[in-house]
Amino acid sequence: MAADANGQDARPDPSIAELRALVAEFQPGRGHVMPALHKVQDTYGYISRDAIEVIARQLNTTPALVYGTVSFYDDYRTHPAPATEIAWCSGPACRVLGGDRIREAIQQTLELPLGGQTRDHRVGLHLGQCNGTCSEAPQVWVNGQVEGNLTVSSAIRLARALKGDAE
Amino acid sequence: MNARLEAVIAASQAAWAAEQGSGKVRINVCLDTSSIARGAEATIAALKRAIAEKKLNAEVGITGSWGFCWMEPTATVRNASGTQTILYANLTADRVDDFLQKVVVEGTTVPALALGVIEGTSTPDIGLLSDHPFMQGQVRRVMANIGTIDPENIDHYIAKDGYAGFGRALDMTSEVIVKEMLDSGLGGRAGGGFPAGRKWDFLRNATTHPRYLVCNADEGDPGAWVNRVLMEGDPHIIIEGMLIAALAAEADEGYIYVRYEYPLCVERMQKAVDQAYAKGLLGKDILGTGKDFELIVFRGAGSYVCGEETGLINSVDGYRGMPRIKPPFPAQAGLWNKPTNVNNVESYANAPMIMRNGAAWWGGVSPAKEKGTKMFTFSGSVNYASCVEVPFGPTIRECLERYAGGMREGKTFKGFQPGGPLSGVVAGGLDLTLTLDPYREKGMFLGGGGIVFFDESNCIVDMCKYFLGFCEDESCGRCTTCHGGTQRAVEVIRRIQMGGGRDADIESFEQLVKTLVWSNCFHGQFAMTTIKTALKEFRAEWDEHIIDKRCRAGVCHGLIAYTVRSQNDAAMPEAQAICPTSAISGEPGSYAIDDRLCVRCNACKEIAPDAIEVRHRFALEVSAAAAAAG
Repeated sequence: MAADANGQDARPDPSIAELRALVAEFQPGRGHVMPALHKVQDTYGYISRDAIEVIARQLNTTPALVYGTVSFYDDYRTHPAPATEIAWCSGPACRVLGGDRIREAIQQTLELPLGGQTRDHRVGLHLGQCNGTCSEAPQVWVNGQVEGNLTVSSAIRLARALKGDAE
Repeated sequence: MNARLEAVIAASQAAWAAEQGSGKVRINVCLDTSSIARGAEATIAALKRAIAEKKLNAEVGITGSWGFCWMEPTATVRNASGTQTILYANLTADRVDDFLQKVVVEGTTVPALALGVIEGTSTPDIGLLSDHPFMQGQVRRVMANIGTIDPENIDHYIAKDGYAGFGRALDMTSEVIVKEMLDSGLGGRAGGGFPAGRKWDFLRNATTHPRYLVCNADEGDPGAWVNRVLMEGDPHIIIEGMLIAALAAEADEGYIYVRYEYPLCVERMQKAVDQAYAKGLLGKDILGTGKDFELIVFRGAGSYVCGEETGLINSVDGYRGMPRIKPPFPAQAGLWNKPTNVNNVESYANAPMIMRNGAAWWGGVSPAKEKGTKMFTFSGSVNYASCVEVPFGPTIRECLERYAGGMREGKTFKGFQPGGPLSGVVAGGLDLTLTLDPYREKGMFLGGGGIVFFDESNCIVDMCKYFLGFCEDESCGRCTTCHGGTQRAVEVIRRIQMGGGRDADIESFEQLVKTLVWSNCFHGQFAMTTIKTALKEFRAEWDEHIIDKRCRAGVCHGLIAYTVRSQNDAAMPEAQAICPTSAISGEPGSYAIDDRLCVRCNACKEIAPDAIEVRHRFALEVSAAAAAAG
């Protein structure tokens, strides 16, 4: 069950048969490791242990190598995402306009580290990379939507509201 | 020219002409990542709804960015007779009804939102876009189509001379194409400046097949989004550039490696590739020439070192994106250990116009040693976040004033970063030009195009922690010099920020500067550039931190303390309530900030700027000790 690790929703992990069907199109030696991982994550939101073993078998490689790839990249996740996900923009335009204070304040408000989730696993915070929407700096993305031109106090209010919604 | 290509071009031109002569008002909204962040999708939905409800004689399309990122959503409006096209800014959804009333129902214009006339004559209220201050000094060549065509429609690209450069290249030998590229002087656009023609020639002279082309669209430098503007605004120019490179280097297969953070680029590039296949421009037996070229859009997954060409190659191969040890170079052993050429997005994008107009035309645009034009983005403590294309050579001062709109109110210019977290930091430097040499002379480099301005409220020590922290996070882990060295640098900076700076720290940094250059790849070799240059350019600020335990910007946690200066300030209750750590205790007359709980987030000072004071902590402790001593 996906719920075991984080006490999250009780959706079961995808079955092996489902995973095999999902990655059946991919072939060994064709640069298909990352596309297969993307497809699994796009479908289920994360990459389960089973998925790593299924992909390894499909691509005629080893789970160790596939896991090595998964763990190298920031955007592959091995656990389900929280319902509300805050990506804090770590870019330089945000930074010079007070972004690091905003990170500190959000972490304190939600009582979590960067890369962590609240104790109830409903809200998560992770480091986001600059995508060049710097006119909105300093900003965070809440489930992909820009919350821009933040001040520290508006960021605290936002975090409190998200925490309240989740409770 | 190839007869089948001529037929393709004729068909696209007919489709374009039919659209232009639709007799409807055509509203093209910029739909890219920057405009979406500012509500472009809502604008498009509102336009479509209002046009349908009121049965207006208008149609809505999409286009790319003119670079006015701070005034998105922008939209171009072509009048029903097709005689005039105007660029408008800040067309938010709430303005749509009034806007349509003017431009469609009344057939007039909206001067308050207009940036300028793109096609047709100026009006008393609206000047030509080319006269707009932001457009001065710009030469839009790579960006020529962006903002005027629909990036998701191949007919638009072809109607604007698209694939004509490829058509010319089809009539040339690979040697002639390479010679034309070398004559142009096109240098790599990611900062290195290495001649693209020479790289193509390396691959051309390879002895085996298959050979691969890779387009490096892993634009990882935070604060740079030039490649994004290009991919989202005109994806076919990149495909055409790669096709020309494929002819020159006799390559069989290509990969466009797009970073994970650019999902719209992935989508647009994939659509463009699919359309090019459908027109017979990609795949087997292209246009009946017997030449094959397969092109694959590949999505990254979040790793800065995959912007290094061999890290990228390992990533496509399916491994951890760790840069390889060179030699062998990619031209000998790249993807699957086959000959491979890697170029930046913008490098490929220049090839079509070089083929179309010739090397002499291309190189004649500026007197600078660096030929051609370059795209830049500007951001930071400035009024405009923007994207421009200029010939190499304007000064930073011109860029700051003209393209970035000057410093924000209340911010004083301190310096800038010339291109990514490996590039260094400049103190002042307003008279430096946007060319490669001034930065090389300072031990820095002009990177992929992201210029970030910072101000006096930014502490240079804290910025060094930021950039070194980034380098530490993104180190692949191969070289001890890099992964251990960046970690060590961050530790030392943290200690300095907490008030534990030592004289020997400068020597530690110098040691790290000397040893990180031994790292395998650019990432480690240049990771210390920020500290190296900051020590030169901002030495007094380091000494203040290390010796005087003082942070002039009031940023470094251990060197400052938040205190209540004015007990009866009306804003204090709200300031107390906003504190995320409940560090402010008491009530009017007895407010106090517990320094152990305070995280220096500054929220209280935002709300009660007159009541809260940031003091130099070391000075406080000295005075407290003096008081205790009587």
